[in-house]
Amino acid sequence: MSTINSKGKKGKVMNRIHGRSRCIWNKWSVLFVCVAILLGVFLAGSASQAADMLKVGLLEEPKSLNVWRASDRWSWKVLGMIYQPLYVRDPETLDLVPWLAAEAPELDADTLSYTVKLRPAKWSDGTAFTSEDVAFTARLINEFEIPRYRYKWQFVDKIETPDPQTVRFYLKEPKAIFVPRSLTIPIAQKKQWAPIVEQAKKTEKPLSTLLNHKMEKPIGCGPFVLEEWRSGAYLYLKKNEQFFGSGKEINGRALGPHIDGLLFKVFGTSDAAVLAMKKGSIDFFWWGVQSGYMDDLRQNRDIRLFTSERSALYYMGFNVRRPPFNDPHLRRAAAMLIDEDFILNRILQGYGIKMHSLVPPGNVYWYCPDVPRHGEGLDREGRIKKAYEILQKAGYTWEVPPVDESGDVVKGEGIRLPDGKSMEKFTILTPPADYDPHRAMCGMMMQEWFRMLGIPAYSKPTAFGSLLEQVKVKHDFEAFVLGYGRLSLDPDYLRTFFLSRNDKRRGWNMSGYHNPDFDRIADKSAETMVRAERRELIWEMQKILMRDVPYIPLYNPKLVEAVRAERFKGWVEMLGGVGNIWTFCELQPK
Amino acid sequence: MELRRYILKRLVQITIIFFVILTVLFLLFRLAPGDPVSRMVDPDMTPEDAEQLIHQLGLDKPLGIQYLVYLKNFFTGHFGISFHYGEPVVDVIWNRLPNTILLFTTSIILSALVGIFLGKIASWHKGEKTDSVMTIGALVTHTLFLPWLALILIWVFGYKLGWFPINGMISEEVWLDPDAGFIAKGLDIGYHMILPLTTLFLIHFGAYLLIMRSSMLETLKEDYILTARAKGLEEKDIRDRHAAPNAALPVVTSVGLSLAFSINGGALTETVFTWPGIGRELVFSVSQNDYPLAQASFLLIAIVVLISNLVVDVLYAYLDPRIRY
Repeated sequence: MSTINSKGKKGKVMNRIHGRSRCIWNKWSVLFVCVAILLGVFLAGSASQAADMLKVGLLEEPKSLNVWRASDRWSWKVLGMIYQPLYVRDPETLDLVPWLAAEAPELDADTLSYTVKLRPAKWSDGTAFTSEDVAFTARLINEFEIPRYRYKWQFVDKIETPDPQTVRFYLKEPKAIFVPRSLTIPIAQKKQWAPIVEQAKKTEKPLSTLLNHKMEKPIGCGPFVLEEWRSGAYLYLKKNEQFFGSGKEINGRALGPHIDGLLFKVFGTSDAAVLAMKKGSIDFFWWGVQSGYMDDLRQNRDIRLFTSERSALYYMGFNVRRPPFNDPHLRRAAAMLIDEDFILNRILQGYGIKMHSLVPPGNVYWYCPDVPRHGEGLDREGRIKKAYEILQKAGYTWEVPPVDESGDVVKGEGIRLPDGKSMEKFTILTPPADYDPHRAMCGMMMQEWFRMLGIPAYSKPTAFGSLLEQVKVKHDFEAFVLGYGRLSLDPDYLRTFFLSRNDKRRGWNMSGYHNPDFDRIADKSAETMVRAERRELIWEMQKILMRDVPYIPLYNPKLVEAVRAERFKGWVEMLGGVGNIWTFCELQPK
Repeated sequence: MELRRYILKRLVQITIIFFVILTVLFLLFRLAPGDPVSRMVDPDMTPEDAEQLIHQLGLDKPLGIQYLVYLKNFFTGHFGISFHYGEPVVDVIWNRLPNTILLFTTSIILSALVGIFLGKIASWHKGEKTDSVMTIGALVTHTLFLPWLALILIWVFGYKLGWFPINGMISEEVWLDPDAGFIAKGLDIGYHMILPLTTLFLIHFGAYLLIMRSSMLETLKEDYILTARAKGLEEKDIRDRHAAPNAALPVVTSVGLSLAFSINGGALTETVFTWPGIGRELVFSVSQNDYPLAQASFLLIAIVVLISNLVVDVLYAYLDPRIRY
């Protein structure tokens, strides 16, 4: 009885509660939406103040604004607007043009010295930019042996500053990289850095102290100056009123900046950045747009996509220190089997450029068009037949040859090395698909192509840190797929990558390639100061490398960048994309 | 006295566990393949530069010495310098921690309050439509894949309807405005919190609802509930004053531990919403082999979890007089 009563009573009570709670929930949801909309209206109301500010989306936050420490690309996107070099690249010819320098460097071959005249310029704090700043920067690098800069300056013997607008560098030995690499580093202000340097020298680890110095207000000569950095949210650079190029014509280009400032906003993912771009929250997403977003972005009339070439190299490397890849015939056969057209059209969906050499074709001056082209123009069967022919001539045998007696291609099995031993299975290390799906997929495809010839290849996606440790530190691998997204436009990296003496722990000759002829030409190229003569040597190096194939160039991905078209005009396209110093100096509100 | 002895005993246990965690963390990062320098694929970095950086980071010292330095750093509260930021780890964490605490603590408290309230109602209506709807709803939202839910919310409410910001914690329009005051900035943060908070709330409240519901159902079978009914008390009083406080004990444990784990932030939530918290830093530091930052972040979580466990145990004794240690 009591239960029935209780239930009946409970039912009434609960109906009441129900009705009330539904009412409460309705009220709350209406209130919630109203508050949100009001907040939105209130907060959006203050957006008009920054009409001429270019909003740039970054994928990650810059790690440091200490110019000597910063190594991540995000920091450099910001620092590149503040610190400036003596020379920059012309967007069309890619030749070096004077920037903080007033004219081209003058070489005195007798004294092995370069004289650089400086442009009248001021730092963002209003003080004059002088030759003392340039000399200070170079001396600081050499004294502290700053990583990444040291090798560009260690051959400079002496620096003179005859007057505030002239600086003279005396080299210990001829060095071809002096102008393209040494004179393109950012110049730091002596006034700001000298006290920091003195303080660092007094500590137990001066280099660490210098690198760990937290730079909160970097002073530069660039078109923008840091106004505010809200960690985790945004970084605001305002127009530098002292910028030396303001209102002037440099390299035939009328410079601004014509915008009030740059606002760098951090997005953790491309998804968020692309949505922000579509919504109009950012004007430029300074990162390559992945192919999955392109169709969607193309349909938006307010968004413009720029497709640029990159100075990049994605390649397959071999460990030539040990069998089986110490045999150039096998490497050539492997190069023959790799179908670059498939990689470009199917894996990269057309957003890539074929690489015939280890210098990207976009680097027009240094790219050698006459290198051996393995398998070009051949279809899949033609490639297999050609690779089979190469290996057969070199003494390789098969239990089941990949080309039968009637000349048809079949699946090869039981490949044996020229010494009669069976080829053991080997792994192709690739970055994992979540790091780079293209390289992971290339590894899978190459595994299949090699297996068609009976070569027992296994693609193994490996965590990036582990891959680098195996390849670069331990040299414990057979083959790998890696890439450089931002190669220097000076081709000295060819020497760095393949010089015999760089085959060491943590050295850049990861393949362990040894060729005395290559070493001789490479060393000569490093000493040749006449550009045209150096080009001959660089071309010769490319030909040797494509004949010996320690690396097989796979592709050079194109860079697709998205901008909002309705707010700004004057985007400057160049190798490496529209995010360059010329764009930020020339961009104008519409 | 017994409680005091219990707390002392637990503190000793916590100290031992903490030392084990301290050591395991150190070894775990050192034994993982790769080091911070080998990841630097800039061709401008020569082998000599790499060796010099390794020396500067102290990674060329024998493992035993590195361990002693690590212990010394820990006991002096130094925690080392982040390899990537070049800043003291304490500063990096300190910059991010309040953001994480703000978002996750708010979400846990909100989820717990709503979960307890709805769990109470669901149990009261056991077997009825209300119970089914709430239980199924809780199960569905609790098992949703967080990044998917977050992206859906961003797409609908941030992009399509444009009601909320799609990412971040603050708007530059407000924070760069010299006229914007404290209230405007506070409102701006609140506005940015709505979507991540809704995501976390939807994911978490279901768990509390289910715990509360099952605990309530057990409690409702107790004799004192029958006694309360026999005394003729109002149903609402029986539910809210007699049953619910006792049934809430397991939820307290769960909330306590969730609050502790909120320190690490939801790496996924923080990444999808670009919320500048400690969770994103944790992922970054582990992926980039930034040992000092990763170690300090994990140690912080360990300390908070261990202490929270102790606090929850003590709180139990306070909330339920029958529990004695």
